[in-house]
Formats: sequence, structure tokens, C-alpha cells
Amino acid sequence: MTENTAETADESSDGGVTATTGAATTTPTTPPEPVIRARDLDVFYGSERALESVDIDIPEQQVTAIIGPSGCGKSTFLRCINRMNDRIDAARIDGDLTLRGTNVYDAAVDPVALRRRVGMVFQEPNPFPKSIYDNVAYGLEIQDVEGDHDEIVEQSLRRAALWDEVSHQLDSSGVALSGGQQQRLCIARAIAPDPEVLLMDEPASALDPVATSQVEDLIEELAEEYTVVIVTHNMQQAARISDKTAVFLTGGKLVEFGDTDQIFENPEHQRVEEYITGKFG
Amino acid sequence: MAADTSDVTAGFGQVSRTAGRVFRALLLAATLFGIVFVTILLLYVANDAIQPLTADPGWHLTFFLTLVVPTAGVGAFVYRRSQAAFQTGMLALGFVAVALLFSGGAAMLFIDIVRPLTWLAVVVALAVPAAIAVGVTAYDQRLPFLARFGVTTAAFYLSLFGLPGPLGTVASWLSQLGLPIPLGATLGSVRLVPSVVDVVSGVPVAPAPWLMLVATVGGPIGVVAGHAVARDRGRRARVAASSAFLAVVAVAGVVGPAVGVTPVPAVVVAAVGVVPPAAYAADVAVNAPRERVGLAVPATVIVGSLVGAGIVSVVGLAGPQSWVDWAFLTSAHSTNAESAGFYPSIGGSILLMLSVAVLAFPVGVGAAIYLEEYAPDNWLTRVIDVNISNLAGVPSVVYGLLGFGLFVTHLNRPAGTVLIGGATLGLLILPIIIISAREAIRSVPEAQRAASDGMGATKWQTVRNVVLPRSFSGILTGTILALGRAIGETAPLIMIGAPTIKFSLPTQVSETVTAMPLQVYAWSSLYATPDFYTKVVPAGVVVLVTVLLAMNSVAIVLRNKYQSHD
Ligand SMILES: Nc1ncnc2c1ncn2[C@@H]1O[C@H](COP(=O)(O)OP(=O)(O)O)[C@@H](O)[C@H]1O
Ligand SMILES: [Mg+2]
Repeated sequence: MTENTAETADESSDGGVTATTGAATTTPTTPPEPVIRARDLDVFYGSERALESVDIDIPEQQVTAIIGPSGCGKSTFLRCINRMNDRIDAARIDGDLTLRGTNVYDAAVDPVALRRRVGMVFQEPNPFPKSIYDNVAYGLEIQDVEGDHDEIVEQSLRRAALWDEVSHQLDSSGVALSGGQQQRLCIARAIAPDPEVLLMDEPASALDPVATSQVEDLIEELAEEYTVVIVTHNMQQAARISDKTAVFLTGGKLVEFGDTDQIFENPEHQRVEEYITGKFG
Repeated sequence: MAADTSDVTAGFGQVSRTAGRVFRALLLAATLFGIVFVTILLLYVANDAIQPLTADPGWHLTFFLTLVVPTAGVGAFVYRRSQAAFQTGMLALGFVAVALLFSGGAAMLFIDIVRPLTWLAVVVALAVPAAIAVGVTAYDQRLPFLARFGVTTAAFYLSLFGLPGPLGTVASWLSQLGLPIPLGATLGSVRLVPSVVDVVSGVPVAPAPWLMLVATVGGPIGVVAGHAVARDRGRRARVAASSAFLAVVAVAGVVGPAVGVTPVPAVVVAAVGVVPPAAYAADVAVNAPRERVGLAVPATVIVGSLVGAGIVSVVGLAGPQSWVDWAFLTSAHSTNAESAGFYPSIGGSILLMLSVAVLAFPVGVGAAIYLEEYAPDNWLTRVIDVNISNLAGVPSVVYGLLGFGLFVTHLNRPAGTVLIGGATLGLLILPIIIISAREAIRSVPEAQRAASDGMGATKWQTVRNVVLPRSFSGILTGTILALGRAIGETAPLIMIGAPTIKFSLPTQVSETVTAMPLQVYAWSSLYATPDFYTKVVPAGVVVLVTVLLAMNSVAIVLRNKYQSHD
């Protein structure tokens, strides 16, 4: 089952134009249940509306990119998924957002438990001023993850493509690393407790071009095992690494959502085309 | 105007800076005003207290040649080689001075206040429940949190206090206040279950006091020092280094009597005053080869002082007739200025500061964490906010009145004791501790909290793993500076009836205590003969200010370390 989906993901990510037709031919089997489903989702900060009736189905084990001009609610939407908006006093959320069928805003859902299933990587690398090992093991410690922590730490660092650079200095401080290394450390920290979904809010925007391309390669690989939702303002990045793309425009509206190739080559909406071709934003 | 005067060679012309220059000069004058006056005042006092000019010129010459010249030379050499090394050297030098000063206080503690056996009993009484706590935590998954918490708390309480312990005392106080508590009156005085402290301090045969101190003071300090020095060099090196430091402490106990120091102070001074700076020096020498050369500075100062002292005593050159001398530091007040001493006040101040720290630190930091991390943002918390700032500005006399009214009048405690003094001064600096701790907690970046929360940490996990470790040195710095305020307070101690003059140190928290500023006040008013207020008072002030500066230097080093880590 896992292998199967991994192959599909592979195909669509390096298949270019033909991937669309490929996907079309493989879809006749029952469409996969979306991991995350939003229906009529509104978010207000005080009286100001940041998201307006967003409907979206985010598929499993694919990279979904969220693009749009600054201030259109991309980060707000991402924070809805793991309820990080709860930390903002002024934020109020209306509508439904389900994770594998459970409404995460249900009174019975513990936001802390939810965040243990949905990992997050932030725009600015934010490693703790602890050792590299302790950074990666942080989630394992606080979540009481069973198993050999040494092994999980090594595995996570390998998956984050950082192991070779830091294997000899696991005891040195995580904040002493370069920006790109710090961000990969944060990715390793996020995937160590094995979350189901990985949210990334412009993870490469604070990095130099070399570090950016390393992180991008990494994200493509992560999609083989995780469902990744990534916010980016970089159109090429979205086109390169994502399978699905959601375009938010000013006012917090989700204007278009679909296969990345289709959005970039043949968008339905005039405004989306203008945005993608750089006429505004 | 510019158009008239400018010609081609004037280029862009000139813009007037006169106002700016005047402003800058005024700022400089304001800065210098304060610094210069305080410095002159301190020098004036120090001159009266130490009287450097009464020394033989040969004495000055000797120390100039053995201490000042070599130190200046080595210092300049090191500074030119590397500024970082020079800083390390100065830090090591300050470390030696401060550690020796603190070791004097610690030695006083073990000579006159706490019997080594009692100390051993307290250490054992803390170690036993700590071991139980570790054991219970190892069970982790199997025991629910409340059970672990309950067992650990009960173990600490039983081990330290027995039954009924302080809870019984509180119950008897409350019943005195009129609350209906069964057996309230008797609970304060009976003892149902003896504590570990009682049991250990009651054993008929005990090892020699200095041996107990080698184990209980030298042991932990040696282990910490050894781990600091050999942290990257494997387990065996750490054990070896720790043992070496412990051996130094033990040897001090044996060698001490041979050079005229009794074993107990010898052990304490070695453990508190010698091992930590030695460990710092060893750490630099082993782990920071580039800064190693900086250690030449403290080495020159130490060797220079010893050589100078040797020459002076061999040749017979008289030193200054300082009023701050060994007799002043180790004897009690006398009506004769020549033989008046400061010892009970120094010890009293140390005891007061310890009780202030024990009482105010947990409460203040607890309140700060609650207000910063947990409290909702509503009108009530905003009122509390404003009032904490106001409380920090309430005159200290008022806190003295409060302390007297609360503890002496209402709770019927005897006036002027260590406990009452500590509690009153603790209340006085509580707002300062809260404000500075909140500042430190607030300086933890929001991104760090978000990172932890995003990993699925509970509030408590984020506070414990991210917020507190990062703000701890800032909290500590603020607390030390607040203690510096408390150590100089006179008025509240007078208000709660602390005696201005005592001839011995209290050995219990329920005995009366005096403090350095109180004694100085007594000398300057009650004993106002010229020798007292021109010589003894300055001597007392010099000691008080030295202790204060030593405390503040710890705070400053902590703060610098903390800032450079951000
Ligand atoms: N913590 C907050 N408090 C109040 N308003 C906010 C907050 N965060 C975001 N907003 C507002 O919500 C809108 C969307 O912001 P955001 O989701 O950060 O956009 P994006 O990530 O697309 O740039 C903006 O108008 C912004 O001003
Ligand atoms: Mg954003």
C-alpha cells in the first residue's frame, strides 16, 4: 500500500506535463480519502477577516503548495491545521477542518495531542539552544516516544540530509549551525516523532540559494512518507516541488486549487494567471 | 546665506553642529558628575578605613616592585597578544578574589552557626528523598503523576522535618489566631515522628567535623569542578579530575593545622575558595589553548603578593595601620574603638541574605512565571501589574512596619530574629525579583515557544524545557541584584526590632540577629566618638561595599555570559 502511493507520488513529481495524463489514467480506482479537509472555513482576527469560506481537500503523501501574495492568509490557514491559531488571543475560527475525518475544532480534541500528529516547520529556523541531539530528541522526550532514541535521532537526521554534516558533533549546540543547517535540523526535529502531516511555512525564505535547493530536495523526498503542506511565495519553488497547488488571493479567499501542472500552465482564473505571471503580488 | 558665502572651493558648504556639540558636552558632564562624585566618596571612605599612607615607604616600594610592575608588564603583554586572553585572565583574577571572599563567609557558617554534624544531617536528609524521587521517576510509566508527586513531597517533608513539623507550627499559629483546629495548640510543640535530620544529628559517634565537610562540601564541588574541566574527555578523565579536586580539599584539612589554620576553615576555604577558581584555570588551560596565556595575569598577582608579603615580613617593613584588619573582621563590637569588630554583623548579614533568598526567590520567581506564562490578559492582571511596580517603590520603612505588624504583633513571633528579618527583607525585594524575573522570561523569543508548542508540548513542558532554561541566568542575575538592595537596608531591620549590637552569631533562625548597616548606624550614632565615626564606621562601610560588589560581580558575569549566548 505504502509502496504503491510512493510510486504514484514519484511519477507525478518528476513526470512533468505527462504526469497530468498519467494521473488521469490512474484515477479510475477509488479516489484516495483526503487527509485534511476544510469546509467553509473562516478565520477572524478580532473583527478583521483573514480567511473566507475556504474549501480544500489535501491528499495523502503528496506535497501541497500554498501560494499567494503576502497577507492573503497562507500562514493563517496553515496554523488552522494544527490549531496554532489557538495561541493567538484575537483569533476566532468558524467552519470545519477535519484530519482523517475528525473535526480538529471539536471540543473533545486536545490541541496538544493534535500537534503531536501534525509537525510544523517555521519560516525562521528556530532550533533550541540545546545540543543537536537534544534538539532532534525534543519531541521524543516530551511525547514519551518508545524505542531507541539514539537510533531515531540518527534516522531523522539522515532523512533531513544533515547526518553527514553533524554526526561527529551531536553534542554541540544547534544554534551554532549555519542557517540552512538549522532549518534542516528543525525539519529533523519535526519528523523525529513521526507525525502524519508536516506543515511548512515558507521554510526556505530565510535561506541562501544553496541551502534553499537542499531544503527543496529534502521536501520532495519527505513526500514519499509524509503528507506535506508547504507555504511559499516562490512560484518556481511551488512548481518544482509540489503535486497540488492552492492559490490564495487577497481577502483570504482560496481562488483555485488543483494539480500543480494545471495551475501553472492553464489556470482557470484570470487573477491567478496574472498572479503567477508576476503581474501583481 | 549659504549661496552668498559659498564659492567653488567650499564644495558643499558646511552644516552647523554647534547645538549638537553643546548637547553632547552636557551629556558627558552629567555622566561624569555621578561617577566622579561616587568615586571620590568611596576613595575618601577607603582612605579613612585603610590608611595606606601610614605604611612604611619601603612597604609601598616592595609591593610596587613585586606586584604592580610585574602585573602591569604581564597584563600589557597579554593584552597585546590577545584581548580574549586578557579578559579570561581578569575573569580568573576576579574569580579568585570573589571565591576567597565567599569561602570566608562559608567558613564562618561552619565555625559559628551550623555544626558540621547538623550540616551532614541536612545533606543526608536531602539526599535520601532525592534518591527516592529519582527511583520513583524511573518507574515513570507505571505510576500516575500525582502518586509520584505525593511520594516525593512526603519523602522530602518527612526526611527534613518529621511529623508534624512546620505544618504543626502553622496549625498552632492559626489556632492562636482563633481558627478551630483540633489539637492546634499542642501541634507546634510535640514531635511524633523524628526526621532524618534529627536521627543523623543525634548519632553518638560521628567522624571528625572536617572529614564530614570534606565529604559534604568538597565532594559535590569536586564533582562539579571535575566534570567542568574534563567534560569532553570521557568518563575516566572526569572521575580522575573530580578525585583530584576532592584530594585537594582533603589535603587542606591535614596541612591546615601545620600552618596554623584549624582543619574546618582550611577545608571550607579549599573547597569554596580554591577549587572553583583552580577548576576555572584548569578548564581554560585544557580546553581553551588560545586563552591560556591570560592565566599569567592572576598567576603574577598571586605570586607577586606572596613574594611581597615575604620580603616585607623578613625585612620588617610596617604595613598600613588599617582599621579593616583580621581583628576587625573576627571580633565583636566593643566600646573601645581600637578593639571594636564587625564579625557578628557580617555573619548576621550573610544569614539574613540566605533566609531572604530562600524565602523570596521561589515566591518571586513563581509569581513571575505565573504572570508571564499563565495569567489571562484582563483588567485584574493589569491592576496587579501596575501595583507590583508601585510596591517596588514603597519606602523600606513601610515594609519594616508591615513586617513588625504581621509577624510580631499578629503572629506573636519574637522580634528581630533571623526569620522575621529574612521575611521582612524578602517582602521588600519580592516586587524587584518579580519584575526582573518577568523581564528575563519575556526576553525568551516567541519563536522558541512556538517551536516547542508546535512539537506538541504542553504548557508545562514548554515552560520547563524552553522558557526556564533560557531565562534562568537572567532570573538569577535579577535576584542577586535585588539581594544587593536588601543587604544595605537599615530601616526595616530597626522597625522589626533587630538589635543594633550583638556579640555572637545566632545559631538558629529564631534568635535575634544584627546586620552590617545596622552596626554601622549604631557606631555612627550611639558611639559617636571621633575614632568611631572617622575610623570604625569607614571600616564597616568598606566591608559592606566589598561584599556588595562581590555579589554584584557575580550577577554581572552571569549576565554577560547569558547575553553572549543569545
Ligand atoms: N496574530 C495576528 N493578529 C492579528 N492579525 C493577524 C495576525 N496574524 C495575521 N494577521 C492578519 O491576517 C492576515 C493574514 O495574515 P497571514 O496569514 O500571516 O498572511 P500570509 O502568511 O499569507 O502572508 C493579514 O492581514 C494579517 O495582518
Ligand atoms: Mg506568512
